Amino acid sequence: MSTNPKDMPRREGAFEREPARRVFASELRECRYQFKDGEDEKSPTFVLLPTGERSNRIFIVGTLTEKTRQGEQNMFYRGRVVDPTGTFFVMAGSYQPEAMQQLAKIEPPQFVAVIGKASIYQKDPASAPLVSIRIESINVVDKDTRDLWVLDAAKQTLDRVDAFNAGTTPDVIKAKEQYPNIDPAVFRKAAYEALAQIKM
Amino acid sequence: MDYSEAAERISRKFSKSGQAVDIQKIEGKLKRLVDEFGVQPQEAERSVTNELNKEFNIPTAGSGGGGKTGSGNEQKKIAEGVPGDWVTIEGKVVALSAPASPSIAQSGIIADESGAIRFVAWAKSNAPAMAEGSWYRIESAVVDEFKGIPNLKIHSGTTVKEITEDRSLIPNPVPIKDLHPGIAGVRAKVIQEWDASHERMLQSGLLGDETGTIKFVIWKEPGKEKLVVGAVYTIFYAPVDEFNGRLSLNLNTATVMQEEGDIAISGGEAEVRGSIVHVAPGSGIIKRCPVEGCNRALSRQNYCPIHEIQPKFVYDLRIKGWLDDGEKTHSILLQRDVVESLTGISLAQAQDIAENNPLGMDEVFLQMRDKVLGRYILCHGREIDGRLLVNKCDRVKFETGEHAALLNRAGGAS
Repeated sequence: MSTNPKDMPRREGAFEREPARRVFASELRECRYQFKDGEDEKSPTFVLLPTGERSNRIFIVGTLTEKTRQGEQNMFYRGRVVDPTGTFFVMAGSYQPEAMQQLAKIEPPQFVAVIGKASIYQKDPASAPLVSIRIESINVVDKDTRDLWVLDAAKQTLDRVDAFNAGTTPDVIKAKEQYPNIDPAVFRKAAYEALAQIKM
Repeated sequence: MDYSEAAERISRKFSKSGQAVDIQKIEGKLKRLVDEFGVQPQEAERSVTNELNKEFNIPTAGSGGGGKTGSGNEQKKIAEGVPGDWVTIEGKVVALSAPASPSIAQSGIIADESGAIRFVAWAKSNAPAMAEGSWYRIESAVVDEFKGIPNLKIHSGTTVKEITEDRSLIPNPVPIKDLHPGIAGVRAKVIQEWDASHERMLQSGLLGDETGTIKFVIWKEPGKEKLVVGAVYTIFYAPVDEFNGRLSLNLNTATVMQEEGDIAISGGEAEVRGSIVHVAPGSGIIKRCPVEGCNRALSRQNYCPIHEIQPKFVYDLRIKGWLDDGEKTHSILLQRDVVESLTGISLAQAQDIAENNPLGMDEVFLQMRDKVLGRYILCHGREIDGRLLVNKCDRVKFETGEHAALLNRAGGAS
């Protein structure tokens, strides 16, 4: 048998959980393009961020300003989570019973951390598309965690803008095609303004 | 016997080509080959020279080996055998193991200078019994695959002949991160010894080298000895098995030699900063099996998979979850003291909640989840099999310096 390590990968098909991207509301709101990686039924779905990174899962921390219960038979909760740059629309339905119960318990306003998956909805062809986050987990956090998230989101946004300007990855090239009218410099500015809102 | 002369000769050869070699190390290697393995002194000198040649990437002159080149028709080196091939090989039986079934006459490992392979001689093949340490020419055997590992099958159409050969075989150790199912050698240090999980098991634990770690197992057999924790060993011809996607090294048939010196284990010391994005079921307060050396987590009905119902369980704390830095998500496992310091809930408090709150153990899970989910933490630990075993963990603090640096970075270029 061969002893050459290159002949065989050490481990095949090892499960990799999709990382949770840190995105400000002002950037997520601009997403218009979503795609599936692979043909499989279980293949993950991504939205393409205008800064040129694919995102399946996202992590946000902000203020839950309101929540509403909707629907009778298929009950679900909707909420608005606000960060320094804008508003995220979050939801949890009966397919996420744990997330729904967590959200039901929280009385706004509160700082919350949300882990979830973003997707793009369009009510009808005439209306503007809406980016909404299906909650996997939501939890009440403190202001320190919110501030840390703003730093984290700002850093990762700046990293993405730099990578976009370098312009070499396939996802960056795709983003330039999909979002020809968006200049990522606006996200650098948004990151600056978000950082500036944190009081020393 | 004195090896300084031979060592001197070897060292001169290499210093001529500008390589510095350690004479004492050479002497030690020669001594081991001759005294422990009964290798002829000339042969020992040659194999040590070859080993150094390989180390320095110097091509060996006349690497034809045993001079059998004239007689080879479809003769192959062991490393060239691919599943599905009919092959003729010459090799040395380096290990024999007890046949797993009555239809198997003999099984073991056969090696040449290119590598090693497991073999099985079927009872029906009527092949002559092979002896460990002897050389054989095996004609028309078949390479196939068993559990993903190449295997040489000796069947009724195979001819097995003993040949006279006493080439010494010095296989090269492989870095642990490059191991894959098959037969391999490593030079590694015993870094952990685990409690035996089976009565037939003599020892199991973790071996590490500069590139990674791997589990090892020794089964109880007459004459088998335990490895010493902290010692360095060179191990040849050990079967590498895969089970549930994890590799493990079986040392029963392997050649194991203790070595001097030490290895710096880079095995997975890791530091990850991120936020906890998921707290998995099975976190919080758990019950463990009280049987000596078992320590398994019990089900809610106090059932241990090995020792059945254990009403006198022991409580423990742990958190299993995912720590995410935005680029990669790491599976983490926090043990009791780390959980206590991170959540501020001690084992005694958790036990009180579990026994007196109507939700019981679920309440501990919920309280702990609410305290850690979404929080930024910095974890130190060891990464084993894709999971970070955290031995120290702190909450991330807001740094004004970081804030200022980011403001400059965001504002500077616009």
